[in-house]
Order: sequence, then structure tokens, then C-alpha cells
Amino acid sequence: MNFKLAVAMLSVSLAAGSAVAQMKPEDAIKFRQSGYTFMSWNMARIKANVDGTYNKEEVIKAANAIQAIANSGMGALFIPGSEKGKGWKDTRVKPEFFTDKDGVTKVAGPFVQQANEMAKVAATGDAAAVKAQFGKLGETCKGCHDKFRGD
Amino acid sequence: MSGQRLFLWDLPTRLFHWALVLCVAGAVVTVQIGGNFMVWHGRLGLAIVGLISFRLVWGVAGSTYARFSQFFPTPNKLAAYFKGAWQGHGHNPLGAFSVFGLLALIAFQVGSGLFANDDIAFNGPLQSLIGKDFSDTLTGWHRQSSNLLIALVVLHLGAIVFYTRVKKENLVKPMITGWKDGAQGESARGGGWLALTVALVVAAAAVYGASGAWLPAPPPAPKGVETPNF
Repeated sequence: MNFKLAVAMLSVSLAAGSAVAQMKPEDAIKFRQSGYTFMSWNMARIKANVDGTYNKEEVIKAANAIQAIANSGMGALFIPGSEKGKGWKDTRVKPEFFTDKDGVTKVAGPFVQQANEMAKVAATGDAAAVKAQFGKLGETCKGCHDKFRGD
Repeated sequence: MSGQRLFLWDLPTRLFHWALVLCVAGAVVTVQIGGNFMVWHGRLGLAIVGLISFRLVWGVAGSTYARFSQFFPTPNKLAAYFKGAWQGHGHNPLGAFSVFGLLALIAFQVGSGLFANDDIAFNGPLQSLIGKDFSDTLTGWHRQSSNLLIALVVLHLGAIVFYTRVKKENLVKPMITGWKDGAQGESARGGGWLALTVALVVAAAAVYGASGAWLPAPPPAPKGVETPNF
């Protein structure tokens, strides 16, 4: 029984592994771009609520969405072969993203951290605190843009 | 020996200059920080639109040494300058390149910035007039040419240091007081109230146009909009 289970698990994990490995670069770029674009929608929603009439539930939804994507392991989408090319449009990632692992970790860590914090602050419904945290989160987006997004 | 001096830079020119210094410095700092400071980056950009527009009118209608025609670097003037034979006041023919270069680059910076976006949460006030792709292209130019602008400002400062240390000429003081000491020549004239009014009106109109306040209000974010729970 245990042996069968182990075989089953092994084959599942192999299949999953190979599914990732076989992802087309074009698809990987599309997933990346979709993730960032979706976060951008949610950033705009938070901004609209902070600048206009504040709706706590809306901000929570938006912040949770950003948190989920930030923690989703999107780094896995930067597969070999996806350094250049077209997803929904041409990728603007710089080649250094694929070589400078430390540099990526340095900008990605704070981003995830601030995205988590954003969700926490959104839950409080404190508009002023949300605005401040929104700014901090935006700075960590910029951290990666400045370093790893081409012009 | 006292007395000999001439009135070089009129007050509007000086105010323009120092306001531009503050706004450009502020724009550079705020964009480095990003986040909520981007709002201020945008505001400073609009202020610079006003300043540059003002200066363009003042370059035609302002007083003597503020006029573009007075310091436009013609080949003759340049040749004389390099032979050491140029005698004049105000911007010298080489410095004139720096003036026109700075004005053009700053105009390009604000012009492209109006249509730019940062892929985070900030859009230039006129960004909605163009598509995202073109906005991205302009944003790239905006970013790249800022380096050129900073380089030109450094050159400008370097030239001032060179004049102070090597040629023993203080360029900063006239830009503060308006007066150039120990010089003979005609003081600046012209640039009266009418010219000032016209320049201010043009500047205000330019800021209004650049602010996008005339654009129809964007459709998103009507009051209390709620998304469904799926």
C-alpha cells in the first residue's frame, strides 16, 4: 500500500515537475504579465479608495489579491528561455534578473513583506494607515522596476 | 573704484531660475523615493510646465539679457568667443547652448512626463489620451533623458565653478541680486508689466492644459462602487 502510494506520489510530482519544466517561455511571460497587470488593477483600486470615498471591503479585496499574487511564487515563471520574447507583449525584464539571484531576493523580499503588511492594514479599515502603507508598497514595486525592468 | 555695474537679470528671470532649481531638484528627489511622493513628482512637473512656458514668453518679451535673440549663439559670435574676442554681458555664446539645451531638455522631460506611467499607481495627467504602449515608450524616454538632464546640470554647475575659480568671475551673485559689478555696458531694459502679464497668463494656460483638468472625468471610481464577491 505504502509502496503504491509512494509510486503514485512520485509520478504525480514528476508529472507536475515536468509540466513546469515544459512550460513554453511564451506562456511563462504571459502568466508573469497577467500577474503584474492584475496587481496593477488592485493597486489602482486601493488608490481610488484612498483618494475618493473609502470603502473598507473594496480595499480588503484588493489588498488580499495583491498579497496572494505576491506570495504565489511568481519567481518560478522566470524560466530559462523567457529572458526575451513576447507574451501578451514583449517582456521588459532585464537579463540581470536571471543572473543576479541575490539582487532579485533583495527586491522581492521587501515587496512580499509590504504586500503582507498591506493586507493587514487593509483589514483595520484605517484609511490614513492604508494610504501610508500603499505608498510603502509602491516603493517596493519600484525597487524591482528600477533594477530589473528595462526602459 | 566704485560704481560701475550694470543691471543684468530682471527679477522675473531670477525668480524663474531659482524656482526652476527647486522644482527640478524636488522632481528628481521625489521620483527617487517613489511611492506616495509620486503625487508630488507630478505636481512639481506641472509647476515646471508653468515655469518653462513663462520663460519661453519672457525670452521674447522680457528685458534685454533675458531675450533669446540677445544671446542666440550665431556662428560669428561663437567664432569671436573662441578667439577670445567676444565682449558682451549676459549669457556668452557657449553658455547659450547650455541655456537652450537645458530649456529644451526640461521641456522634453515635462512633456513626456505628462503622458508617462510608472506601472504602479501613478499616471501623468494626460496619460489617458494615449495608449499604454505609447505611454510606456514615452516613460522610457522620460527615464533615460533624465540622466542627460542631470549631466547637463552638472556641467552647468561645473562651468560656474570654473568661472569662479579660474576666471574669477562670480556668476551666482548677479543671478541673486540682478546686478553685475565692475562691468560697463547697458543695463537691461524692457520686460514691463504688460509683458509680465502676458507671460503669466500663458504660463497659467499651459499649466491648466497640462493638468488635464479639462479632460472629462474618468469613468472608474464612482461613489461607493462595490465589486461582487466572486
